[in-house]
Amino acid sequence: MRNSLFYKVFGTYLVITLIAMLVVGLYATRQIKSKLMERIDTELTSYTQIISTTPSLSKIISEIASLSKTSDARVTLIGSDGVILADSDGKASEMDNHLNRPEVQEARVKGTGRSIRFSTTLGINTLYVALPIKEGPAIKGYIRLARPLTEVKHYIQEINLLILQSFLIVGILSFLIAFVFTSRLTSPIHEMEQFTERLLDGEDPGSLMIHSSDETGRLARNINSMVMRLTEKIQFADEEKGKLESLLASMEDGILLLDANDRIEAINDASKKMFSTRFRDIVGRTTLEAFRNIDMQEALDRFKETGEPVSQEIILEEDQRALDVTVSPVHGLPENEGKTIIVLHEVTRLKKLEKVRADFVANVTHEIKTPLTAILGFIETLEGGAIEESETAKNFLRTIHEHAERLDRLVDDLLVISNAELGEIHFSFETVSLNGVIENALIVIERKASEKKLIVKKEIPDDLPSIWGDRDRLHQILLNVLDNAVKFTPDSGTVSIKAFDGRDGNVYIEISDTGIGIPNGEIPRLGERFYRVDKARSRELGGTGLGLSIVKHLMTAHKGRVEIKSHVGTGTTVLLIFPVFQEELTA
Amino acid sequence: MNMTEKSHTSIQYEKELQDIKENLLYEGALVEQAIEYAIQSLLERDSDLAQSVIDHDEHIDELDEKIEEQCIRILALRQPAAKDLRFIATAIKVNGHLERIGDLAVNIARRALDLNEVPPVKPYIDLPRMADITREMVKESLDALVREDCGLADVVRKKDEQVDNINEQIFRELLTFMMEDPKTIHRALLITQISKSLERISDHAESVAKMVIYMVTGESVKHQGSSGDCEK
Repeated sequence: MRNSLFYKVFGTYLVITLIAMLVVGLYATRQIKSKLMERIDTELTSYTQIISTTPSLSKIISEIASLSKTSDARVTLIGSDGVILADSDGKASEMDNHLNRPEVQEARVKGTGRSIRFSTTLGINTLYVALPIKEGPAIKGYIRLARPLTEVKHYIQEINLLILQSFLIVGILSFLIAFVFTSRLTSPIHEMEQFTERLLDGEDPGSLMIHSSDETGRLARNINSMVMRLTEKIQFADEEKGKLESLLASMEDGILLLDANDRIEAINDASKKMFSTRFRDIVGRTTLEAFRNIDMQEALDRFKETGEPVSQEIILEEDQRALDVTVSPVHGLPENEGKTIIVLHEVTRLKKLEKVRADFVANVTHEIKTPLTAILGFIETLEGGAIEESETAKNFLRTIHEHAERLDRLVDDLLVISNAELGEIHFSFETVSLNGVIENALIVIERKASEKKLIVKKEIPDDLPSIWGDRDRLHQILLNVLDNAVKFTPDSGTVSIKAFDGRDGNVYIEISDTGIGIPNGEIPRLGERFYRVDKARSRELGGTGLGLSIVKHLMTAHKGRVEIKSHVGTGTTVLLIFPVFQEELTA
Repeated sequence: MNMTEKSHTSIQYEKELQDIKENLLYEGALVEQAIEYAIQSLLERDSDLAQSVIDHDEHIDELDEKIEEQCIRILALRQPAAKDLRFIATAIKVNGHLERIGDLAVNIARRALDLNEVPPVKPYIDLPRMADITREMVKESLDALVREDCGLADVVRKKDEQVDNINEQIFRELLTFMMEDPKTIHRALLITQISKSLERISDHAESVAKMVIYMVTGESVKHQGSSGDCEK
C-alpha cells in the first residue's frame, strides 16, 4: 500500500525530529540544572561568606536559627577540631565529629569547601558549603551551610515534564507534517512508477497528471512527451509493416526469402498456395527439403555460381503447373546481406495457350495438307494418262471437287473462328424469333437426314419468346449442331429438336440424337478446335473439326451457353441456352 | 580439447550430416522426375522423353556413389551414436532403394521405347492409375523422411497393397488378351513388365517408409508387413 520510499522519508524525518528533540531536551536540562546549581552554590557561598565574617562564634550560635531561616539553609557551626558547636537543625551534642567531612577539609586547606552528598539525615542530595572562620591566620572554626537540592530536583522535574509535553506536541505535529510532506513528495513518484508499470505491461498508461512546478512535475511532463513520441513511432512502424504485409499477402506472385544459409526465412500467402501440396512448416527448411524440385535447385545453383539473377521455368510435378522462377540477391540493410529472394510467377495458363496454339497450327497444317495431297495425287494420275479413260477421269474429278470443297469449307470455318476470337466478327443484332431460324435450319439438313432414313422430330411452340441475335449466325449455330446430330447418328436413328421457354429468363433449344454418343471424359474438350473423339470417322463424314468450336464462340457472343450430355451408344443431347430479349439489355 | 575446438567440430559435423540429407533429397527428386518422365513417355508415346530418362540415370548413379562414400566416411571418422547412427543407417539403405528405383524407371522407359514402335493394345487405364499411386508412394516416403513423419510413412505402407492388386489385375486382363489373340503377346508382355517394374518401385518406396519409422522410433518394422503401427 504505502511504498518504501514513503517510509524511508517519513521515518527519517521522524527520527531526525526525535533525535533533535532528544538532544535539545537533554542539553537544555543539563544546562538548566547546572545553572541552577551554580546559582544555589553562589547564593549559599555568599551567605556562608557573610556569616563567616561574624567575629564572634557565640553570636553565631545564638543567632543560628535566624541565620538558617534567612539563608534558607541548615547552618552548622563546627569547631576547629570538628566538633559541632551549633546546628540549626538539631542538637549539636548528638552529632558526630565533622572534621573529616570533605567540605570541611577542603575549607581548611583551600579556604572554601563544597561538596554534594546524599544526606542520610534528609534523604536527598544536599549541597554543603563550608568556610573557615579565621582570626588572623588561625582557624577558629568552620561555618557550613547545607541546602537540600529539593528545589533543584523539583525544578528539574518540572522542566522535564514541560519538555516531555513539548515533545508530545511537537511529536504529533511533526508526525502529521511529516506524513503530509512525505506523501506529497512520494506520491508523484509512486504515480510515475505505476505509469511505467502499465507501459511495460503493454497497456495504455494514460498520461501523468502531476502539476507541481518542481523537478517531479517536469519529470512527469517529460515522461508524458516521451511516451507520446514512442507511441507515435511504434504506430508508424506498425503501419509500415502492415502496408508491407498486405502488399505481400495480396500479391499473385509467390515470394520466398532465403537466409544466408539458404534456409527459407519467410514466404508469402501466394507461395503457400502454389506449393499447397507440400507441407506447412516450410520455414527453416532448405529448398531441397521443402520442394524437392530439380529445376528450382538448378536455378538456385546457377545463381550461387554467377551471383547474377537467374530466371527459369519450372514444372511442379504433382499438378503439372508451370512457374516462372526468378532468383536474385537481396540488397539493403547489412543484416540482410547474403540473403536470396525467389519470385514465383504462375505461367501455367500461358503455357497452355502456347500448347493450344502449337496444336492448332499443327492441326491446321495437317487438315489442309490431307486434302491437298489427295488432290495433287489425283491430278498427277490424270496427267499420267488416266485422263484418257473417261469414267475414271470423271470419278477422279468428282473426288478432286469434293476435296477442294472441303478445303474451302475449312478455310471459311477457320476465318469464322479466328474472327470470333479476335472479336472481329461483325454481328448485326436484332430481335429474332427462333421459330423461323429453326425451320430454316431443318430444311437444310432434311436432305441428309432422309438419305440416312433418319426420323426428324420437332417440338417447337409458336409462342417462343424472341431473342436478341444475329440471324445468320444463329442459322450457323443450329446448322452445325443439327449437322453433327445427323452425321453421328447411324441409319434409321432419330434426331429431335425441342424448343421451350425455361421461365427463368432463358429460351432453351434441345437437339438430341440416337447416335454413337461421346465418352464422358471427352465432353469438356469438345469445344477445342479440331478436337475429334474419333478422328478417322469424323473426317470421313466430311467434318472440319471446327463445328463445335464455332458454336461455342457464337453462343458466347449471343450471351448464351452450350451444355452437352451424352451416353456412349445411346445418343447425345446438345442444349443451347439463349437469354430472352429484354429492352434494357440491348447495350 | 578446449571449448572452441569442440563447437567447431559440431558445426562441421552438422554440415556433413546436412549434406548427406540434401544429397539424398536431390537423388529423390531426380528419381521422382525419372518415374514421371518414364510414365509420360509411355502414355504420350514420346520416345525422346524415354531416351532422356535412360540417359539421365547416370546422374542418379553418381549421387548414389557419392552418398554412400559420405556415409562410410562419417561412420569411420565420427563414430556416430544413437539418432545420428540411425540416420546414417537409414541414409545408406534409402540411398540403395532410390538407386534401384532409378534403374526400374529406366526399365520402364526402355519398354516404352519398344511399345511406342507398335500400335497400342488398348487404351491405358490401369497403368496410369498404378503409376499415380506408385509416384505418390515415392513422393510421400521422401516427404516422410524429410519431415520425420511416422504417420505419413504408415500411409505409404498401406498403399502398397493397392499397387499389388492392380498389378495382378493387369496381368489377368492381359492374359485374356494374349489368349484371345496371340499377335498381342509381344506388346502385352512388355506391358506386364512395366507393371512389374512399377510394383517393384512401390515395394522400394515402402521400404523407404519403413526405414523412416526405424529412424524416428528406433524400432525396426522391416518384416511386419503393413500391420505394424507407429506411435510418435
